[in-house]
Amino acid sequence: MLMVRAIIRIEKVEEVLKELSVAGFPSVSKMDVVGRGKQKGFKFGDILYDEIPKEMLLIIVNDEDKDAVINIIMRIAKTGENGAFGDGKIFVSPVDEAYTVSTNSKGL
Amino acid sequence: MKEVMAIIRVKKISKTKKALLNAGFPSMTCRNILGRGKRKVDFMLTISPQEAANEIPELYEASSEEHRLVPKRLLTLIVQDDEVKKVVDGIMEINSTGNPGDGKIFILPISEAYRIRTGETGKYAL
Repeated sequence: MLMVRAIIRIEKVEEVLKELSVAGFPSVSKMDVVGRGKQKGFKFGDILYDEIPKEMLLIIVNDEDKDAVINIIMRIAKTGENGAFGDGKIFVSPVDEAYTVSTNSKGL
Repeated sequence: MKEVMAIIRVKKISKTKKALLNAGFPSMTCRNILGRGKRKVDFMLTISPQEAANEIPELYEASSEEHRLVPKRLLTLIVQDDEVKKVVDGIMEINSTGNPGDGKIFILPISEAYRIRTGETGKYAL
């Protein structure tokens, strides 16, 4: 199993969630985060904004579904044709085990 | 070291905290998150079905069509490999009501840990 952590623009969240649910990946957790990237935030006149609000999506998927989920996020969360700075990042990390609390069972 | 990530019901958090403390796991991080699972939430459970269908059919349709996000708590604990089972069992025991929406627990590997105050690493940092 893999955990896909996607940090994306707030305004893109709704569309990404909709698309994921249509593609058969309804299970998602979402949290508010603030952060900056390689561009060190952005400068507006003299003021530097380096705590830019974003949304983080947590999705745990089976190994074979990873590419499908990443493709959807990549496609929807991108701004314009070529993308723009601040569109976000996707991180993938391994998950050893998963449990469902309601049924006391192992697995997704 | 392992990271135990548990997504649980909001109202179960204080009981879970107490149980983990008694089991010897005082350190943890808790966040408010929104989430959804495999199943759709039937928000019409709060009103009688007939009433809902008569008065607001569009709302009933909309709520049963889409996967909506519900508030949950995300607990994160970093523990030694041999303690994982104890933590998982503890969380399961408190949170298991047998209904969908009780949550999930994920176990992730952690490669390093540091205590900022002293600079200790590995298991001494926990």
